[in-house]
Amino acid sequence: MAEGAAGQERIGVYICHCGVNIAERIDVEQVAGFTSTLPGVVVARSYKFMCSDPGQELIKKDIREQGLNRVVVAACSPLLHERTFRRVLTEEGITPFYFQMANIREQDSWVHRDGGLATEKAKALVRAAVRRVSYHEPLEVREVPVNPDVLVVGGGIAGIEAALTLAEAGKRVYLVEREPSIGGHMAQLDKTFPTLDCSACILTPKMSDVGAHPNIELLTYSEVESIEGYVGNFKAKIRKKARKVTADCTGCSDCEDPCPITLPSEFDEGLRERKAIFRPFPQAVPNIYTISRKGVPACQASCPIHQNAYGYIALAAKGKFEEALDLILWDNPLPATLARVCHHPCEEDCSRRDVDQPLAIRQLKRLVTDTVGEWELPGPEAEREESVAVVGSGPAGLACAYDLRRKGYRVTVYEAEAEPGGRLSAIPAFRLPQEILEQEIARLEEIGIEIRRGSRVEVDKLLREHQAVFIAIGAPLEKLAIPGAELRGVIRGREFLASLRRGRPLEVGRSVIILGDDDRALDIARAAVRRGAKATLVSRLPQPKAASEEIEAVQEEGVRLETAVTPVRILGNGRVEGLECKTAGTEFVIEGETLIISAGGVPEAEAVAHLGLKLTAEGYLAADPLTLATDVAGVFAGGECVSGPLSVVEAMASGRKGAESIHRYLNGLDMYGARELEGPYASTIEVETSGVEQRPRQEGPRLPVAERKGFQEVQLPLEERAALEEAERCLKCAGCCDCRLCWTVCEPEAIDYTMEDELVEVEVGAVILATGYKTFDPRKIPQYGYGRYDNVLSGLEFERLVNSAGPTEGKVVLKDGSTPKRIAIIHCVGSRDERFNPYCSKICCMYSLKFAHLVKERTGAEVYNFYIDMRTFGKGYEEFYRRVRTEGVKLIRGLPGEIVQRDGKLHLIGENILLDEMYDLEVDMVILAVGLEPRADAEEIRRLFNISCSQDGWFLERHPKLAPVSTFTDGIFLAGACQGPKDIPDSVAQAGAAAAGALALIDAGQVKLEAYTAQIDASLCSGCRTCISLCPFGAIDFDEERRVAVVNAALCKGCGTCVAACPSGAATQAHFKDEQIMAEIEALLQEG
Amino acid sequence: MSFEPKIVAFFCNWCTYTAADLAGTSRMQYAPNARIIRVMCSGRVDPQFVLQAFREGADGVLIGGCHPGDCHYQEGNYKALRRYHLLAAMLEQLGIERERLRLEWIAASEGEKVKRVIDEMTEQLKKLGPLNWHRELEPAGSSRSPATGSERPEAKEAE
Repeated sequence: MAEGAAGQERIGVYICHCGVNIAERIDVEQVAGFTSTLPGVVVARSYKFMCSDPGQELIKKDIREQGLNRVVVAACSPLLHERTFRRVLTEEGITPFYFQMANIREQDSWVHRDGGLATEKAKALVRAAVRRVSYHEPLEVREVPVNPDVLVVGGGIAGIEAALTLAEAGKRVYLVEREPSIGGHMAQLDKTFPTLDCSACILTPKMSDVGAHPNIELLTYSEVESIEGYVGNFKAKIRKKARKVTADCTGCSDCEDPCPITLPSEFDEGLRERKAIFRPFPQAVPNIYTISRKGVPACQASCPIHQNAYGYIALAAKGKFEEALDLILWDNPLPATLARVCHHPCEEDCSRRDVDQPLAIRQLKRLVTDTVGEWELPGPEAEREESVAVVGSGPAGLACAYDLRRKGYRVTVYEAEAEPGGRLSAIPAFRLPQEILEQEIARLEEIGIEIRRGSRVEVDKLLREHQAVFIAIGAPLEKLAIPGAELRGVIRGREFLASLRRGRPLEVGRSVIILGDDDRALDIARAAVRRGAKATLVSRLPQPKAASEEIEAVQEEGVRLETAVTPVRILGNGRVEGLECKTAGTEFVIEGETLIISAGGVPEAEAVAHLGLKLTAEGYLAADPLTLATDVAGVFAGGECVSGPLSVVEAMASGRKGAESIHRYLNGLDMYGARELEGPYASTIEVETSGVEQRPRQEGPRLPVAERKGFQEVQLPLEERAALEEAERCLKCAGCCDCRLCWTVCEPEAIDYTMEDELVEVEVGAVILATGYKTFDPRKIPQYGYGRYDNVLSGLEFERLVNSAGPTEGKVVLKDGSTPKRIAIIHCVGSRDERFNPYCSKICCMYSLKFAHLVKERTGAEVYNFYIDMRTFGKGYEEFYRRVRTEGVKLIRGLPGEIVQRDGKLHLIGENILLDEMYDLEVDMVILAVGLEPRADAEEIRRLFNISCSQDGWFLERHPKLAPVSTFTDGIFLAGACQGPKDIPDSVAQAGAAAAGALALIDAGQVKLEAYTAQIDASLCSGCRTCISLCPFGAIDFDEERRVAVVNAALCKGCGTCVAACPSGAATQAHFKDEQIMAEIEALLQEG
Repeated sequence: MSFEPKIVAFFCNWCTYTAADLAGTSRMQYAPNARIIRVMCSGRVDPQFVLQAFREGADGVLIGGCHPGDCHYQEGNYKALRRYHLLAAMLEQLGIERERLRLEWIAASEGEKVKRVIDEMTEQLKKLGPLNWHRELEPAGSSRSPATGSERPEAKEAE
């Protein structure tokens, strides 16, 4: 029970003048006099500086001489000096919690002008503190050991310095860097002001030290995903992003050459390109390459067989046709066929669609197959004993056979017809020349797939000869489920197409109606037109399921399209005369002598009966949709005989699924796991398409309509030049195209495409955040023309330009390669500007002067610096400014209002405020000294680590002067520019300070736990468990035996939420008990 | 003399109390009507504290916490928000205007907001006039007994 109630307290009250900070506004003597009359107060004094030694001594003396057992200090904020005064009590042998502070400076004298009112407020605050302190109780402060390891986030110069300092002190450091290499912005700089040291020369030795230090575990290309725990005992989860290159990489750079993908180099600010397999710069630490792969691109994800279109397009664009074909053959044994007949869902999903039109992917595949001309399919790497029967040689059967054969199985394909190919062999030659298909089938036979033509089979016999069977007999038998189908002149589409192949086409008369929804119906219509008939295609769909090119071609050839139409019945008297149709409620009749039905096929009843397998109610073969297993063990079925109508590539996908199932079945593997990505899916890559220049799609030419009499192929290939231009339109959504050419050249075998992100958990006692900054985006000031004018550069771009390892090897040149005669440097871009950032970015004046010096040194060009104020504080900075002035650099006070381009020259227009006159200066190049801003994700990082930000978004330090590297969250320190704009010396100094802060914490060995924890009085607890659901830390458990809630003090963080909610008053918070706060409220409001 | 309202402000240690300190270091000037009580989290503010403040003569009560998502204790401010809505509704039934109880999210960097909110609230309360709840609750003729730590305020049962 509080002693306050017993009235034994002897309170000393001390009113601080804080020099004049308090005393000039508040009548401190009056407050002291008032306080001395309050109950329990033994002594009340005022003193100039309570926090000074004599001030503290004053309290100590009173404690000793007056027997004080409670102390109140009315001074500044308790956040500043509560610790100081508590220590005074401890030193005098009194529990430090018998202390209360009244904040009469920050929350009184500094914020109120009226001295009388401020004094009244001070009295109330002191009275509240006096009343409260009498209810204070001694608290137990538990200590726990501190984990001696440290997490440093960010591998720029600040993070490097902090990590090295700690590592040198013998502490284990985890240094996490988001990019593939440490080095940060400093690695991009050319020279450093004011000494003009080469940035890389002074930074890279430190980087190597980090890489080699036994105490530093370097986690590059990694990000902290979550952090929990408290000071001394944090647990962080770190995501190591998949580099796809292992630590065996020697950094030899052999892989760069074959890589077909070039992307803008982030390190060179986009002034140069890098490969998809890259290291940011040659001195990178670690010296390991990284493959930037963002995921599976839309073209590949939407393809039923996941053909790597992006990959073969990239290779083709580099003239690597053989390699492109190898990549195609990885997933597809029928490339020349699909290059002609595929309905190309890849193009429907192509991200380029958001810019203009999708890439002509199918035509680019045609380019590859046409250019290579002749090839062999890859055979098995090793032969296997098991043999598999495939029934049906359509696209599903062939794809299945190919995949199984490549795995080494002996494969026999049984085909009922004399010619293999199934529905492919029925495609008329004007779309798929017969020899193309024959060659593809011959290639399959060459790798050891046996195709038995004209062969009818039975399942049980097959199972005697083979270990597994895949049935893909198609669904060629069109259902004639429309009234009037018995009339003469009604023809099945399949029969018509077969008659074409045989070269003895069925008679169709002068006008023919085709009923159907896919490319087969289009083929029939086009064939009928070639027989001289007038053709009308009736489809239930708004658009037939076929490639856009085919729909265009069929219309060019004069076929009438009736889409979104429901056929009602076939009209006629003995012979077909027309088709009655319905659309949107209206009925109409299409006249025709012949009607060809090409829709809704089922497997042939005879064939199916032969096989002895179960059928569904619709007449299809019954198979598990995920594995394609039938109810006969070892027998699988796929393609149209299971699913109904499929496009060619969809049927192939079904065949591949069957091959995967058979492989799993024969090896006793799990049949169901990890099959989610077998069908088409949506790519997760987000593609930025704004700012991409529009370039029209290169459509492949088609045979002139007048020449389309016979069965000559209609779709012609793109010319190679046009095709390569088309390939260049690819947006490279995924980064790496997964062509695996780098893998073929990597001698240490360091490339691992299967590498996945890895989550690492580390336990540390302290965290140092050194996440740095980003530069202001000058596009936000459109009148400066950045991004529109070629020769307007940002500061970092100029750093790369002037760097001898940069894109121009250090030559300062214009976009056209010529040397500038006159250069302008504009200070304060995005800084000291209410529209963007009100603060000064601190480093821009100095780096602008450095640029001026470098330009003079390298080119002798005239240099103009436009500034507002010249801020050159710091050691040697003013001297550098003077030196640059003597080098003939012209300094103009007053930033230009705008930059305009006239006749290829840039004109800066503004006012020289020292001369009070306007200027219009013509220059060749402008460098924008962009300011510094918090990282784009600073807000997320801040939340992750539970720290605050200042108004500008920079991480907030605990105190701007006295605790610039600590945060309000104990154990989390700040270093470098994440706390605010800083130059290199300041960042390094702060990093050292942060490291020292962490060391002090660690070397103390123990950390005090929160004292203000909650407790639950078991005798009052009703067991309602309200508190348990409220506690965000899971610190409250329910004791089932006693039916009461119990607080785990080690987990309790002391927020008091449970206390505020406890309906029975059983929960209390140490130092924030109800009676303590109630006393404060009452005393604050007491009148007089 | 014009009416000077009394405001009791419960500010959380991590955001709003720090913001009030920042207002001080930035020498912002605002109405001297608010008296600040420091709690570790706005989630600690028991509705009872608010009732007690009104009973003891406050004309308004201000609760300041961290912005949503910023709570030092993850979600204490959400708990405060829930209680605030219930309490404001209850106070209204008791005839206490909604404007007399205010909840504000004020981050450590928002010294300016402390000034604005306190000034605004002071002005608003001046318009509303005194609450005088402590006088109304007092039975005529009897003298008010100050709350002491040894007895639990009776409002607790009513919660």
